[in-house]
Amino acid sequence: MVSVALLAQQIVNGLLFGGQLALIAVGLTLIWGVARVLNFGHGAMFMVGGFVGFFTLGATGSLVAAVIAAGIVVFALGYVTEVVLIRPLRDREEFGIPSMVVTLGLAFFLENAFIVWIGTQRQSFPRFTDVIWNVAGITLSAQRVLIFVISLVALGLLFVVISRTELGLAIRAVSQDHDTALLMGVRPNRVYAITFGISAALAGLAGVLLAPLFAVYPSVGWYPFLLSFVVVMVGGLGSVRGTLLAAMGLAVVRSISIIWVSSQMAMVILFAIMIVVLVAYPDGIGGYLE
Amino acid sequence: MTVLETLRSGIARTGDRLVEDARSRNGIVFAVLALLALLAPQLVGGYTLDLLTQLIIAILVVTSWIFIAGYFGMFSFAHAALYGIGAYATALLAGKAGVHPVLAVLLGGVVAGIFAIPIALPVLRLSGAYVGMATLAFAEIVYRLAIHFRGLTGGPTGYTGFPPLLGGSRLALYYFVFALVVVLLVVQYGLLVNRFGLVARAIREAPDAARMLGNNVPRYKLVGFVVGSAIAGVAGGLQIYTVLIISPPMIEVNRMIEFMAMGIIGGLRTIGGGIFGAVIVFGLNEGLRDLGELRLVIWGAMLILVTIYFPDGLADSSLDPRDRLRELLNRE
Repeated sequence: MVSVALLAQQIVNGLLFGGQLALIAVGLTLIWGVARVLNFGHGAMFMVGGFVGFFTLGATGSLVAAVIAAGIVVFALGYVTEVVLIRPLRDREEFGIPSMVVTLGLAFFLENAFIVWIGTQRQSFPRFTDVIWNVAGITLSAQRVLIFVISLVALGLLFVVISRTELGLAIRAVSQDHDTALLMGVRPNRVYAITFGISAALAGLAGVLLAPLFAVYPSVGWYPFLLSFVVVMVGGLGSVRGTLLAAMGLAVVRSISIIWVSSQMAMVILFAIMIVVLVAYPDGIGGYLE
Repeated sequence: MTVLETLRSGIARTGDRLVEDARSRNGIVFAVLALLALLAPQLVGGYTLDLLTQLIIAILVVTSWIFIAGYFGMFSFAHAALYGIGAYATALLAGKAGVHPVLAVLLGGVVAGIFAIPIALPVLRLSGAYVGMATLAFAEIVYRLAIHFRGLTGGPTGYTGFPPLLGGSRLALYYFVFALVVVLLVVQYGLLVNRFGLVARAIREAPDAARMLGNNVPRYKLVGFVVGSAIAGVAGGLQIYTVLIISPPMIEVNRMIEFMAMGIIGGLRTIGGGIFGAVIVFGLNEGLRDLGELRLVIWGAMLILVTIYFPDGLADSSLDPRDRLRELLNRE
C-alpha cells in the first residue's frame, strides 16, 4: 500500500513539473495554432537556449543575463528558421509534412553540429538556490518552486500579449484567416516569423530554467520535446488552455505512476494515453474548452 | 475475372512496365547498380561485403517505407520500430524456439505485419501530420518496451543467442539477402504499377474522390500499411544476421530519421527514389566515417535542402543545372 504522504508528495512534484512542461509545450501548440507547423526543432531550440544560458553565465556570472540572452538568441533563431526554412514551403499544396521534415532536419542538424563543436559531455549548470522547505510533511525544493513561478509568469505574459496587445490581435487574426488578415492590413509573413520567434524563445527560456535539472548537452532537447509533444496532442494542438491542463494532468500521471513503474514505463503510459486521445478525441481536451 | 487471370494480367503488366522503365535514365543506372552488386563479392570481401549487405537491406527498408509514406501518403514514424519487431521476432524464433533461420526471417515479416495492425487502425482515421504523431508515439512505446522486457529481449544490451544464417558464410548471406531483396522489390513494384498502386496514389491525392469511385479506402490503406511493415520486418530479420546482434539502438528514432532521410533525399514518389536515397545516405555515412558526427550534420542539411529545393527528391528531378536555375527563377 502506498502511503498518503508519498502520494501527496508525488502529486506536488507532478504539479511543479507540470508548470515546467507547460512552458515548453505552449510554444509547440502556439506555432501549430498560428502557422500549422509541427515543429520537430522545438527540442533543439530548448537545447540552444540551455547552451546560450550556460555560456552567458560563464562570461558574465549573472543568471538574469543568462536567461535574457537565451530568450533573445533563440527568438532570433526561431525567426530566421521561419523565414529561411518554412516560408519557401508555404505555397505547397501539402504543407504539414514538408514543414515537419524540415524542422526534423533542423533538429538533427543543430544537435549534431553542437556535438561536433562542443562534444557530447554534459555541462552541469549551477542550481539557483539550495533551500529546501518542508510543508506539512511534503518536501519542496525552492529551486523547483522558483522555476514553477517563473514559468507561470512567462505564460501569463504570453496570455497578456495574445489577448491584450495589437501584436496578439494580429496573431489571432492570422491564425483564423490568413487572407482576410492580409486584407485588413496585417502582414501574415511577419506574424508567422514573430510567432515562430516567440515560440522558440519560450523553448529557449525553458532550456535555461531547466538546465540545473536536465544539465546542458547536445541531445538534451529530445526528452522534453517528446513530453511536450504528448502534452500538446492530449491538450489539443493549437489550444493554449488545453495544453496547460494537459501539462498539469500528464505530469501528475507521470509522477504518480513512477511510484510503481520505471520512468521508461511511465513514458509508455503517456504515449498510450496520447494515441487513445488522438483517435477518440482528435481535438484533445482543448476541443471541449473552446 | 478469376483470381488466376487477375494475377496473370498483373504479372504481364509488371513485366511490360519493367521493360519500359529499364530503358529510362534511372532504369539504366539501376541495372548497372544491380550488375555491380552481383559482381561485388568478386571485387571486395570481409567488412566491405558486410557493408554492402547492410546497404541492400537498407534499400528494402526505405522502399517499403516509400510504399506506405510515398504512395499512400501515410507518413509513418513507426517503420523503424516495425523493422525492429521483425528483427526481435526473427532472433527469438531462431534463438529460443529453434525455428530454422530462413523460416525465422520470413516469420519475422509476418510478426511485424501483425504488430502493425494495432497502429494501422488509428492511422486509418487520421491524416497528414497527425499520422506522423500517432506513429511516433507507437515507435517510442516499442523502443521502451524492448528495453523494459529484458528477460525476453536482453534489455539495453541486446540479444545475441541466435544461430547464424546459412552456416555463417558472408558470401552466402550476401547472395541470400540480394535475392530476397530483389524478389521483394519486384513484388512491391508489381503491386504499385497495377491497380493497387493506382488506388494508393488516388488515396494520397484525393481520398474522397477515391472513395466515391467505389474503392474501399480504409481496406486499401490497412493492406498497404501491413504489407509495407511486413517487408520492413523481413529486412529487420536480415539485418540481425548481418550484424549478429539485436539491440534497442537498432530501432530508436534516429534510425527512423535516417531511413526517412534516405527516402526523402532520393524521392518519395517512386521505388527507385528509395534505392537512390539509400545509396547516397548510406554511402555518405560509411564513406565519411572519419568525420564522425559531421556527416550527420551534412545529411541533416541535405534533408532540409532537398525538401525545399527538390520536393520530388533527387532521383525524380532533372539534375541539369539549367533546369534547376530556371525553376529557381520561376519561383520568385
